[in-house]
Amino acid sequence: MATILIVEDIPDNAELAQRILLSAGYDVLRAADAETGFQLAQNRPPDLILLDLGLPDYDGQTLAGWLRAEPLTALLPIVAFTAWPPETARPMALSYGCNGFISKPIVRVNQFLSQIRSFLKTN
Amino acid sequence: MLPAASGEVILIPANQFTLQELTDLYNQTRVDYLIPMPMNAARLQDYLLTYDVVLQHSLVAALPDGELLGVAMLGLRPNRVWITRLGVLPSTRRHGAGRALMTGLLREAEKIGQPFAMLEVIKNNTPAHQLFLSLGFRQVSELLILRRPPILPPPDPPVADAQRLERAECLALLRRAQGFRPWTNQPESLLHAENIAGLHVTLPDGSRGWLVYQRQKFTLTRFIYQTERGDPAAVAAAFLAHLHHQYPRLDTQVENVRTDDPHLPAFYALGYLEAFRRLEMWRGESPYTPG
Repeated sequence: MATILIVEDIPDNAELAQRILLSAGYDVLRAADAETGFQLAQNRPPDLILLDLGLPDYDGQTLAGWLRAEPLTALLPIVAFTAWPPETARPMALSYGCNGFISKPIVRVNQFLSQIRSFLKTN
Repeated sequence: MLPAASGEVILIPANQFTLQELTDLYNQTRVDYLIPMPMNAARLQDYLLTYDVVLQHSLVAALPDGELLGVAMLGLRPNRVWITRLGVLPSTRRHGAGRALMTGLLREAEKIGQPFAMLEVIKNNTPAHQLFLSLGFRQVSELLILRRPPILPPPDPPVADAQRLERAECLALLRRAQGFRPWTNQPESLLHAENIAGLHVTLPDGSRGWLVYQRQKFTLTRFIYQTERGDPAAVAAAFLAHLHHQYPRLDTQVENVRTDDPHLPAFYALGYLEAFRRLEMWRGESPYTPG
């Protein structure tokens, strides 16, 4: 099963996403800041990164840029995980090299999992 | 005089808490914000130094049993104060903690003889906006937070003479800067910053101007700029093109650009994106006009 790295600093948000992904059979890694997320992604490249745009050390856009610049993670699917409105989230995520975005909070579990599957399949 | 703070809420000077405690409290107040802007202790320390925020005059709100409710901070500069990092824990909102923090900070400002206060609020944060209006603040401008991703191709350098400026030259320019800017973009905001550099550009038609910025590890930020002569958009296009040609792999973040800033078209032309907006609000007799 695929491994998903969740980079999210708010424990409740990360916990909920982790539980849903684990229950669907995915392996999950977690990081609460950009530096840790970057190290985890380099040490054990996941199949997909779910990336909060607001992190306490560097923001998610900056982390996406680092990941795209490293050979091990340059082609990984990166999905912005954000509460920003879609009209802002979409151009910001795409212009920083993310493959798309998923809105927070997670309201419909099936829709969230369907989006994850879709990003995994198309990438 | 301002009314006394809400009876149940006690206000404690923020310098009685560690930076980590203040960071944790601030982050917890923002967990449900559309734009949470979390910090770690190192970022908060840098923020306090850069923006002249004084913890001795900043406040933490708590209940008499010690439960923390929220935080608000006060920046001090000559003839003005700045209210920033105001936040109340989501579970304790609508019980007067935000108003108590605000009135407490305004009282601190009165005590030190600074009646003119500035702040910014994220656009569409209606409860906070209403609170500030009710305390006598008025909206003076709308502000843009802009980003330029590093994966954009570097622009062609324009036909302009560009001179790189070292720190001392930048500080000399900042001392002569004209106009009154949002707090984060005032010349004082670069005085303590490391890795300050700048560009002075002169276009063939004689237009000229300058940009001072901070180069961080991965990011260009804290822009302060001015057109000395000519078309501001053309001058900005020149200094931005030179800057991004020089640093093609650095991310760029520019805060609090007024929506009526005549340099703004150049930012959009160079690939900058709007992340979100804030409203700039003032309270008291202003010794300045926006500009």
